Amino acid sequence: MKVVLLCLALAAALPAANYYVTIAGLGGTPDYDAQFAKWAADLDHELKANGPDAQVVTLSGNGATRQKVQELLSSMATEIKPTDAFALLLIGHGTYDDSDYKFNLPGPDITAGELATLLNRIPARRQLVVNMTSCSGGSLAALAKKDRIVITATKSGSEKNATVFARYWVDALKDPSADTDKNGTVSALEAFLYAQKKTAAYFESEKLLATEHAMISDNGSANAVRDPKPENGNGMLAAAFPLLRPGSESAASLSPEKQKLLVKKEDLEAKIDRLKYQKAAMPEDEYKQQLTALLLELARTQAEIDR
Amino acid sequence: MRIVSGLLWSVASLTFVTQAMAAGANDCHTLKHHGQMREATACFERLTRASDSLSRAEGFLGLGQYDAANEEFRVAFKEQPKSADVRYEWGRLYLEHYQPGDAAKLFEEALELDPNYARAYLGLARVAGLGYDKKAPDLAQEALQHDPKLYEAHELLAYLALEDSDEKQATAEAQKALAISDEALDALSVLASIDWLSGKTQSEWMDRVLKVNPVYGEAYATGAHFFTINRRYELAVDYERKALALAPDLWPVRSELGLNLMRLGHSDEAKKELDQCFEAHWRDAQTTNALKLIDTLDQYQTFESGSTELMLNKKEAALLRPYIEPELQKAVATYERKYKMKLPEKVRLEVYPNHDDFVVRTLGLPGQGGLLGVTFGLVVAMDSPSARPPGDFNWASTMWHELSHVYILTATHHLVPRWFTEGLAVHEEGAASPEWGDRMTPEIVSALKNKKLLPVADLDRGFVRPEYPTQVLVSYYEAGKICDYIAQKWGDDAILGMVHSYASRKTTLEAIQDNLHESADAFNRDFQAWLDQQTTETVRHFDEWKKNLSAASKAANKNEQIRLDIALRDEYPAYVGPNSPYEELGKLYQDMGNKADAIKELERYRNLGGTSVASLKNLARLEQEAGNAKEAEATLTALNDIYPEDEEVHRMLGNLLLANSDASHAVREFGAVLALKPADTAESHYDLAKALQAAHRNSEAKDQVVLALEAAPGFKPAQQLLLQLSQ
Repeated sequence: MKVVLLCLALAAALPAANYYVTIAGLGGTPDYDAQFAKWAADLDHELKANGPDAQVVTLSGNGATRQKVQELLSSMATEIKPTDAFALLLIGHGTYDDSDYKFNLPGPDITAGELATLLNRIPARRQLVVNMTSCSGGSLAALAKKDRIVITATKSGSEKNATVFARYWVDALKDPSADTDKNGTVSALEAFLYAQKKTAAYFESEKLLATEHAMISDNGSANAVRDPKPENGNGMLAAAFPLLRPGSESAASLSPEKQKLLVKKEDLEAKIDRLKYQKAAMPEDEYKQQLTALLLELARTQAEIDR
Repeated sequence: MRIVSGLLWSVASLTFVTQAMAAGANDCHTLKHHGQMREATACFERLTRASDSLSRAEGFLGLGQYDAANEEFRVAFKEQPKSADVRYEWGRLYLEHYQPGDAAKLFEEALELDPNYARAYLGLARVAGLGYDKKAPDLAQEALQHDPKLYEAHELLAYLALEDSDEKQATAEAQKALAISDEALDALSVLASIDWLSGKTQSEWMDRVLKVNPVYGEAYATGAHFFTINRRYELAVDYERKALALAPDLWPVRSELGLNLMRLGHSDEAKKELDQCFEAHWRDAQTTNALKLIDTLDQYQTFESGSTELMLNKKEAALLRPYIEPELQKAVATYERKYKMKLPEKVRLEVYPNHDDFVVRTLGLPGQGGLLGVTFGLVVAMDSPSARPPGDFNWASTMWHELSHVYILTATHHLVPRWFTEGLAVHEEGAASPEWGDRMTPEIVSALKNKKLLPVADLDRGFVRPEYPTQVLVSYYEAGKICDYIAQKWGDDAILGMVHSYASRKTTLEAIQDNLHESADAFNRDFQAWLDQQTTETVRHFDEWKKNLSAASKAANKNEQIRLDIALRDEYPAYVGPNSPYEELGKLYQDMGNKADAIKELERYRNLGGTSVASLKNLARLEQEAGNAKEAEATLTALNDIYPEDEEVHRMLGNLLLANSDASHAVREFGAVLALKPADTAESHYDLAKALQAAHRNSEAKDQVVLALEAAPGFKPAQQLLLQLSQ
């Protein structure tokens, strides 16, 4: 995806999201309660692979009340700095009554408006909200905001069936194939595309009518899209939001010689990106020849760096 | 042909005069019955101007103006709300206008008003007959009880008997009809059909038909119906053409002609016929669905090889062709050897990703419940693996099954009885691969327990007019077992001998006598004893098994659960359906860390034909973890026959094959991953590049690694491979 390629260098340069909050809401039945808690626990486990600097907090079961959510997000608002990144991940059931979205929690539910108010107080400039509940599309209008990536499991508040998107979002963090550009980082966009594809495949293979259609908006608009791309102005922020980057290494620790090679590598990557943009307008053979040459040069450079 | 029959009787009656209709309608029907079409039309037109609404309705109906007739019936219904005649005649309209459900409702209402209304029973019998419902003969008999002179009921009974291949009964009923009316055209048509089915092209009965009505194309259409249900589609087409030559406006016949042409792979000709029907406003579900299907044929691609043609939907051709085409060629080569024959032309396999498209090809044929594939001469149509949920069926065994039909139908000139070709096809599945073939499902155990198997000579009835919901399934099993038994006791040559007997128009009784040298009674007795040996224990424990099935999941602890599941497994070892003890034991052992026993149970499940994709994938992972690459490979290969749409299965198998130096098959597996349009394109191109490199196809490998790096320029393993390939 072009968006991914454009932002590759940016994604690699930025620190991983520092703060992750996962909330598993009320299941309503023992099966759903157990499933939501398990997904939340799995997410917690995977996100902690980001290293000791990652602040991972998970609320589930009776600990995930509206009051607890409010307290947690309020305390984060005082702790988080503008340069930090913040991610909120919601798992469970939601409801929508044509005006308000509510995330179902033990005791009183919390509305999308209330969540938005809490999120707006968090100073982190880069924010990611992944609402994986039923009816989550109904929360888009309240949550969408400049510099905030909002992902929902459903396209609107009227998709009311329990969702499976969360299962595949968790898988995206476990499955190395989610890292489609092989840069060692799973970005929010890669996780979205992975979970979206797996969700669609689930409904198709089971011969069921799809009851959920995941959406993304990262340009501040409530008009989320299913296919983020430059043409619709979505995907840029999500591609640059590293969700999972285990064992990342700082460029500063490299020798001056290797730093030179890194510059060369970045230059080659930029050339490859530019070439790919020109692909449609080029004769196929010429494109392939130029691409192969650049890729070979990049491979040699990388080999030098790794030596 | 059922729908033609619906038309026939509308013109055949001379005795159902009602007060309101007076003699007018009868006169018109008499003219039509004698083929005086111009005069009949004028007569019906006169009726449309009659003073009473029922006569007008009858007039419009006679002219085929269904909307106008419907309106007049509506008026008649308001005028005579308590009239059974109005309801009955209105029902006739619906029956003729491909709405049997509405027709049945009106016939039932007529019977509520007049429980002695013989024709309403006959109407219900016709509706039941359209769906090959076993109630049809009973309803026709009921009609005769109320009116013993209702010769049309005898005609219908003759027709139904011939559908059951009971020529003796069909002849007797037809003669009864002729004894009441020597101009009973449909009785004559059934008798002529018996001649045609037996190979006589000239029939004295048809001569008699033409003397009564020189344009009675319906008689040929009746013959075509019987050729169709006996899978003799080429002849069905011939007789449909003869019918239309006499009566070009027999739209249901033209529609059936279109469908049969489509079944035979002549889509262009089929479209012409179906378009004519559509233009003439004959737009029943069969016609419109067939036209819709033909319109989608440009979405398909045909791959030809020496003796095969494979038609696949373009969107899944890249995935399926590498699996289906070699399997198709293997089946053709196997059957050529086994049946000592070559097909006269290429065999064509059509694979439909949309089950509804496949179903269109089978409309109007009996015994279609749960159908996966169907054979029309040299053409086989079947569901694609993508047409059904994962684990629902095994496409490879389905294909072998259908291909067996192609050979047996060809070898017997389509004269084989249904039970034998189905039984042999099931037998061939098991011969091709032991885990294929029909399993002894609980429905079958229940039938065995209740002694519901049919004698071999009557087994066709179990397919054509089942007496209980699962009888078709049970009949497949029984027929398959009969062929297993013959092959085991007398050898494949005896099977081939029976094929040749059927080709010589021998009956089942004669085929058994000639090739197995025993009477049908002795055969039935010995077969039952042979089958009992295999099934007695399961049948004996069946009630207990059913009771224990739910108890196992509620056991107090895992050890108790294991004990119960082992008992369940041993009581009914062939059961591999949902929640089979093998899968349950596999899970329990795995949860307890006893992977060796988990593998053992799941391998039993696999070898018995279990098809749960999740369980088999789990088994493959366990086998791989246990270092048993060969078994893992076998499991994943079996999965490809069940559900080749799973990216992970191809990737796992590709890696195993590559590690096992089987680069060419690894190329196929990684190619399949790419055909499934994976999210991770870089990894998938890289995997294929590795396999191509191992297969010494370096140029293609380089192309793939460049594609991998195009998606992910920083993908280090791919970079290293590119450097290697560029040296």
